[in-house]
Amino acid sequence: MFSRLDKRFVRAAILLLVLCAGFVVASLVLGAPAVAAEVAPVASSPSTGTLVVQQVINGLAFGVLLALASVGLSLIYGTTGVSNFAHGEQVALGAVLCYFFATTEPVSIPLIPVSMSFGWPLPIAAAAAIALAGGTGWLQDKFLWNPLRKRRVAVLQQMIVSIGLSLALLNMLQWWIGGERLRVTNTIGTRYTFGDFYIDRQTIISVIIAAIALVSVSLFLLKTRRGRATRAISDNPALASASGIRVDGIIRLVWVMAMALAALGGILLALYENGFSYDSGGRLLLLMFAAVTLGGLGQAFGALVGSIVIGLVTEVSTVFINPDMKYAAALAILILVLLVRPQGILGKSERVG
Amino acid sequence: MGNLLTDVAMQAFAPATAAFVLAAIGLNYHFGLTGLLNMGQAGFMLLGMYGFAISIREGLPLWLAVLVAMGAAILFGLLLGWPTLRLRGDYLAIVTIAAAEILRYGMRSQTFVNITGGAVGVPGNQFKWVFENLSPFPAERVTIWIFTMHGSKSTSWWLVVVAWTLVALLSLMFWRLSKSPWGRVLKGIREDEDAVRSLGKNVYWYKMQALIIGGVIGALAGIVWALGSAAQSDAMGRMTTFWIWTMLLLGGAATVFGPILGSVLFWVGLALIKGLARLYIPQDVLPTTAIEPFSLVLVGVGLILLVVFRPQGILGNKKELAFHA
Repeated sequence: MFSRLDKRFVRAAILLLVLCAGFVVASLVLGAPAVAAEVAPVASSPSTGTLVVQQVINGLAFGVLLALASVGLSLIYGTTGVSNFAHGEQVALGAVLCYFFATTEPVSIPLIPVSMSFGWPLPIAAAAAIALAGGTGWLQDKFLWNPLRKRRVAVLQQMIVSIGLSLALLNMLQWWIGGERLRVTNTIGTRYTFGDFYIDRQTIISVIIAAIALVSVSLFLLKTRRGRATRAISDNPALASASGIRVDGIIRLVWVMAMALAALGGILLALYENGFSYDSGGRLLLLMFAAVTLGGLGQAFGALVGSIVIGLVTEVSTVFINPDMKYAAALAILILVLLVRPQGILGKSERVG
Repeated sequence: MGNLLTDVAMQAFAPATAAFVLAAIGLNYHFGLTGLLNMGQAGFMLLGMYGFAISIREGLPLWLAVLVAMGAAILFGLLLGWPTLRLRGDYLAIVTIAAAEILRYGMRSQTFVNITGGAVGVPGNQFKWVFENLSPFPAERVTIWIFTMHGSKSTSWWLVVVAWTLVALLSLMFWRLSKSPWGRVLKGIREDEDAVRSLGKNVYWYKMQALIIGGVIGALAGIVWALGSAAQSDAMGRMTTFWIWTMLLLGGAATVFGPILGSVLFWVGLALIKGLARLYIPQDVLPTTAIEPFSLVLVGVGLILLVVFRPQGILGNKKELAFHA
């Protein structure tokens, strides 16, 4: 595949790499000490190598959790062609719903001046949140997306509808839980240390849960009739429909699945990052887009690979640049890959221009 | 109640409204004329306001600061357009929004705190004085009819005059350019890129020109915004771009008066909703802190309804509808 790379793209990539390098150098020269002290609670002054390995561990964990959200985004894109800008808010919604059921503090629903308190144990609260989030997927497709498809509304128009939905949901969440950062659980987890490196018990459990969810989604896509139908629609909706696949039913299923996965991702990310706020999902939206585009738009497994790349870049970059720039580093990788390989890592090399 | 109506009416001609009109005019070149899905208009505004504010702080004269801001926007447009204008529409959307966010993260980062001021940004008193000193209005609060504003400081009559003159000039320019042969090529690209290409036009370069012109106007919008408040990066996030889109689609894409009508209705509507909610919805149903998000929820729902039921906006022509691909 490298033999087919356009010379123009290679030149473009080299130029961009130089720019990135220049940027890193500039930020090192101009800026305050870039290596964050907070990422390294281990030794007094760990070497860069140690820091990188630690951040690779964190990055893999973050990538797997991010994959939960981006696989759904990719499935929706694959089957309907819509880039769903409201997906970030769905991730936050998972965390908010889980908090709503798990916290012992009094909580209330907007416009209803009654406060209540559930205080359910975390697994039950999480399950309820995921089920409810899946329900929002069903409702959305039933009352919004399906009618739009029926009216043959253009894909770009649907994308702007999703932007409207994102605006509405984001502010809805802010209205609901306010602006401050909240924690789903107050327990402080144990931390395992191996020599210079550490990992939280909570993170290990989260990654295992995420891995189970991702493997089940993969098995669903590869082994079941409905999964095969989903992939067939991604490949060619018209042909799939002509060969007797119930396209609308499958798309409904995809929406429910994507929203449930996003909610699971939101809950686990809230645990991983030790807190969430109404906009924590929205801030991840672009990382998800980056992951989906990196892997190849609409390729569910591509989204998985892309998420892990993005997770690694995000966390490892904190060793070299200020942590408040880590999302920017991940997005820069997105632009770089689009220059060299616009169809993404696993994408088919069709014409995208 | 009377106070509320005065406040709401003032929103109709406030400098902030004019800043968003300018940003929407810029987006109108991208989306309305050329059909480009630029989701990074806030990034151009960000460059405008930081380029201007930092230049003034470092002692450059006013005209040079404006040129620096515009130059930054041209550079950003070139960098952004070069890889993406060959790609499909949704790729452009994702890359532009990503690039705008990279800019915002960069400007609020501690790394460049010496230049951009980190999360605080560049405070108004470090760069606004050059513009304010030029004001022919008195340096005190001035009441014209029922509206009271400062003569020359921050959100002032002086800024109102300058901002709306700019709006008038740029609207005139849009009207002229959209009727010119150049504008017709852009509309041709919007309707059918391949047809224009087969006529021997360099589609890529035309798209680039539209991106840059719209971006430079976005930078001017950023300057006007900064002169009314301050150069602070979080004011120009993802959501700002979405608002600008709402305004343009509300007024009507590809029309001359669409951006003006859209922005005025947006800000007046927002102020009206907030004011009425504060007056008539009891505290225990909708606490004061919830009024802002509540009104923005309505904006989001409004955008959905608009795109579904009247995609051409208020003034738009359904035949000139710009959703293709």
